[in-house]
Amino acid sequence: MFTRGALLYIGQRLVLIVFTAVAVSSIVFLGVHRLPGDALLNERRPDPAAEAALLHYYHLDLPLPEQYVRYVTGLLHGDLGESYVNRGVQIMPLLLREARVSAEVGAAAIVFTVGIGILLGVIAAVRQNTWVDYLATTTSVIGYSMPNFVIASLLFLLFGIGLYAWTGGALYYNSGWTGTYGTFDQILIPGFALGFPYASIVARLTRASMLEVIRQDYVRTARAKGLTSRVVVIRHALRNALIPVVTILGPLVIGIVTGSVVIENIFGIPGLGKEFATSILNRDYNIVIGLFTFYAIIIALANLLVDLLYTVIDPRIRY
Amino acid sequence: MATAPGITEKYLEETLAHEQTSLWGDAWRRLRRNRLALVSSVFLTLLIVVAIVAQFWTPYSYFTQGLGPIYQGPTAQHWLGLDQSGRDILSRIMLGAQISLKVGIGTQLVVIVVGVVIGLVAGFYRGFVDTIISTVINIFYGIPDLLVALTLVLLLGRSLGIIIFAIAFTQWMNMARLVRGQTLALREREFVEAARSGGAKANRIIFRHILPNALGPMIVQATIGVPMAILFEAFLSFLGLGVPPPTPSWGAMAADGFHAIRISPHIVLAPAIALSLTLMAFNFLGDGLRDALDPRQKR
Amino acid sequence: MSQPVLQIKDLKTQFFTDDGVVQAVDGVSFDLHPGETLGIVGESGCGKSVTALSILRLVQEPGRIVNGQILFRGDDIVTMSDDEVREIRGKDIAMIFQDPLSSLNPVLTVGFQIEEAIEAHRKVPSKMALSRAVELLKQVRIPAAESRVRDYPHQFSGGMRQRAMIAMGLANAPSILIADEPTTALDVTVQAQILELLRDLNRDLKTAIILITHNMGVVASLCTRVLVMYAGRVVEQGPVERIFKDPQHPYTWSLLQSIPRLDSDRHDRLLSIEGFPPDLIRPPRGCRFNPRCQFRVDRCLHDDPALMNVGPDQDAACWVTMRRALAPNGELRG
Repeated sequence: MFTRGALLYIGQRLVLIVFTAVAVSSIVFLGVHRLPGDALLNERRPDPAAEAALLHYYHLDLPLPEQYVRYVTGLLHGDLGESYVNRGVQIMPLLLREARVSAEVGAAAIVFTVGIGILLGVIAAVRQNTWVDYLATTTSVIGYSMPNFVIASLLFLLFGIGLYAWTGGALYYNSGWTGTYGTFDQILIPGFALGFPYASIVARLTRASMLEVIRQDYVRTARAKGLTSRVVVIRHALRNALIPVVTILGPLVIGIVTGSVVIENIFGIPGLGKEFATSILNRDYNIVIGLFTFYAIIIALANLLVDLLYTVIDPRIRY
Repeated sequence: MATAPGITEKYLEETLAHEQTSLWGDAWRRLRRNRLALVSSVFLTLLIVVAIVAQFWTPYSYFTQGLGPIYQGPTAQHWLGLDQSGRDILSRIMLGAQISLKVGIGTQLVVIVVGVVIGLVAGFYRGFVDTIISTVINIFYGIPDLLVALTLVLLLGRSLGIIIFAIAFTQWMNMARLVRGQTLALREREFVEAARSGGAKANRIIFRHILPNALGPMIVQATIGVPMAILFEAFLSFLGLGVPPPTPSWGAMAADGFHAIRISPHIVLAPAIALSLTLMAFNFLGDGLRDALDPRQKR
Repeated sequence: MSQPVLQIKDLKTQFFTDDGVVQAVDGVSFDLHPGETLGIVGESGCGKSVTALSILRLVQEPGRIVNGQILFRGDDIVTMSDDEVREIRGKDIAMIFQDPLSSLNPVLTVGFQIEEAIEAHRKVPSKMALSRAVELLKQVRIPAAESRVRDYPHQFSGGMRQRAMIAMGLANAPSILIADEPTTALDVTVQAQILELLRDLNRDLKTAIILITHNMGVVASLCTRVLVMYAGRVVEQGPVERIFKDPQHPYTWSLLQSIPRLDSDRHDRLLSIEGFPPDLIRPPRGCRFNPRCQFRVDRCLHDDPALMNVGPDQDAACWVTMRRALAPNGELRG
């Protein structure tokens, strides 16, 4: 599927991602370490000796350049150090486990966002200036005007009270995510709340793009061949209309990452987003640095995927 | 583009003034036909009135606890009920409107100043300066904005000013990019060329020609930026990093009521609905303004 | 003479815009016989393309056919159901367009777009569709057709794209091929090759061709009969030799005066006719050509001429006609 040139390109991008990760973690590392070492450990020890021992344990007694070199060396070996709050907790395995949890919800949100967004956008475009179009367009403004925690609370009320008897409690807020993998119920509602505002944006963009493409000469050619209107819309118009839509998948991933901080907290999902809020509030700086590094890598990988996706839907783009 | 030597500055300004009046006149006519945008502006005017009134008067004190049974639903005395500490929710919503509007509008003021300066510099001087600025703008677009704002607030403190600064820090590039694009496009237009050949200074070109022309898109961008900022503040306070209590913020109010959503949903619903309606009104108004000011790229 | 394969009767297509109703095609009638090559000429905006699109009911909103009949083998396309029209499109009547790059879908292979034209009307195994696509590409003289069939449009040259469009049009051996400015976007040498290809196809496959162009030279090299359109109307029609040798409508005459040679610059404009085609929302009173006509008389200003027989199988809609306009005694002048 991929030519040698493409593989080379992917290789280059992966190297670039490593550099990005190092750069991002460096910026956050240096930003955080401007604080004096003992401020990083938020509980002051009454005993100076114990405090010194603790500073030594985390290498906070070393000069900053040396700490930095240690950190980057560790990072390149896949070691993000230890939590400042929960001593002995290694950050790398912790975040990897949490990333998998977040990926489940995030993937649900993306599938939902893209699926519903494109569907609504196409329907609105094909039925331009009818009530269907106005309904879809207005819904989409309402959609991105609702913060995800508002959507989450409405879903709680819907499934927790309104439909509780009918669904027998299914689809209702399932806290206490125990296993590594969430159940269908646990993923579906958070995914919906996380994706809904972005689905509205995808719908608007798809609509505009479809309206543009439908006037193109090749769509007229397709109709002149005697193809059914369904084939014309899906095969000829939509595929081309998706090219600009792909562009916002990068920002979409950033939005999902950001939104997950709120959503994972509401639904008690043990993922990266919940960890981010917790470690920020606990001032567990080592984890914060690690999280930023993780996020940088996730976003860079998403952008790489988006660029590869371009080549799949648009044969004119080759690397 | 060559200009006839006889064209004077005065003539140019008259042409420009005419262009401007007809642009705003047409825009106003188009906006009036947009019912959603009109309803939205009425709602927002009311909201501003409420926020101002809240400064001097609220039905009850927003921080007095135990005004009645905690978690009590809406009653005749307390139209929106009481919260988990027995405080009057209506009074808190009114004051929350103040916080939201301060954050929303304050952020946009910062964004406009920073964005206009940076955008003008990039667009007007082009070349190396522009390359650097554009690169920085692109880097900012790739950063998860909420996380950066969260971290800034964490490192710098939780005051209203810092929250506004943190949000503006994640938004300035939208305005900068817009002003840069407008400047690049407008500086090529005939009247700017002519004004320059007439010996006008850069300042004059910027303030008499470029900014008045870029004003329409800038207003639209700022109108769209307000709900983004309000949403951000709501996120921050929902996560416990907003303005410190007991100052009420809609996001924090929703967060506080979340644990009891099944027994007393009104604690969450009141701020959630206030927030959604406000964001919606700004978005509808922004859409309306965009359609009105630029009919060519409708929606 | 044989039965016409296509009869257009008093066709009117209008566009309902915010500024008013554009009378793009205003009462056009003509017949097309099997195997015939008919040229429709005129400046841009005179209704040629809208006429062509109307035949396959491809006119887009806000355009609508408001009057007339389009009889294909006796059945009226105007009143058919959408499915019946779809059956005719690409199977009985195929159409190729001006700009082959924008007319081919950039994200699908050329081969696929040809196969799809076949499969729209016949259930065939995909292997057969592929080999038929290769065969068609060979027929339009695309070298190395077996491998080029998997190429995307952007990998083809301009001339090859138009050949591919023609191959697509021929996929179901249609009885009529409508070619809307098929050579305008192409280089001069490529133009000649495409015209030669169309001529051979007409001779070998007996496909009737409607050629729409603003270029009289292109008409001369391919067509047997010509229809001259102006402002949504047919102003003159007749056999190609008669029209070229003895045009009767001043508009036709002006077009011929300004004839660009096939080997000249490809951006040929009809420069010698002064002025522009009229506003079709509020067309001029009387003869629509009168504001630009150098031979007009008083009658032209208020009386709208219909097509009248002016020679063997030749009709023109003109009160003056060139025969009298150019007469040495100048009876009409003054």
